[in-house]
Amino acid sequence: MTATSELATSELERPIRPDVAAFAGDFEALVRLYRPKVFRFALASLRDLDAAETVTQDCFLRAYQARERFRQDCSLHTWLMQIAVNLIRDHIRNRRFQFWRRASLTAKSADVAGHAIADRALSPEAQALLREQVAAIWTAAERLPEKQRTVFLLRFVEDMDLLEIAFATGMKEGTVKTHLFRALRAVRELIGETI
Amino acid sequence: MIPHLSSEQLSEFMLGQPSPLVARHVRDCATCQSELANFREALGEFRGAVRAWSQHQANAAAISSTVEESHPWTPSRQLAWALLMAAVCIIASFVLPRHGADGVAGGDAVLLNQVDTQVSRTVPSSMEPLLKLVVQE
Repeated sequence: MTATSELATSELERPIRPDVAAFAGDFEALVRLYRPKVFRFALASLRDLDAAETVTQDCFLRAYQARERFRQDCSLHTWLMQIAVNLIRDHIRNRRFQFWRRASLTAKSADVAGHAIADRALSPEAQALLREQVAAIWTAAERLPEKQRTVFLLRFVEDMDLLEIAFATGMKEGTVKTHLFRALRAVRELIGETI
Repeated sequence: MIPHLSSEQLSEFMLGQPSPLVARHVRDCATCQSELANFREALGEFRGAVRAWSQHQANAAAISSTVEESHPWTPSRQLAWALLMAAVCIIASFVLPRHGADGVAGGDAVLLNQVDTQVSRTVPSSMEPLLKLVVQE
């Protein structure tokens, strides 16, 4: 057996991940699966409903256009988040030059905190304290520099690990760790009074 | 034993990379354990709140787009049309009277000319043929 045929056989024998199969076959299923995650990350990053929807749509459009280039060296989720991170970065840069444009939704900390602990049997005082903490974290996250906010949201909202965040942001793992450490310290210090 | 953990040390611990000294302190110190538990709980609540809020926003956006598809005359479009019509009316109120005034002024000028002609005649128009006969003689 030649080296080429051995390679071909090993490629064939390699198990195909379900998300990759979905990517190849049913793009709509893929959108249904990952759209909420991409939208959530965009919304939490930009805090603007229209902008988050635009970024989400652009993300899947670019993914579809670049589907041939998906090398499977990361999960599909991480790859989509990488596209989203780049789109959000571009959007933030463009927004700096659009100072006249008002955000369609300026999310206030109370809006987000209002969705906390809706279904738990806590005392009103404990609920109020947790809401206050959630609101403080939301405000603290808004004040973070862009890179710190991105890694903070990817880690603590999207539950991605350091390697996945490194791939999605194009940073080295050590750099991600540094940004995350600084973000966490800043958030901790800002909400220190409520905890 | 080291004093209670600083904000930096707590962050270090949260990232899962504490120094042996910090790790030992957390193991033995109920205060710092409680501090870490509170911080973790707050971050967990934050995650839950952002996810619920995002879901809520996505649902609201889906509902509003469905409503817009079934009722293309949404209030915002009606408002836009109303503003457009108001603008047309305002422009018309400036443009049309000017044309009207021009028309009235033109009519006045013709009337004044007619009056001027009548007044400047030496004899009434009905007697003009007779005047011609007198002049010829």
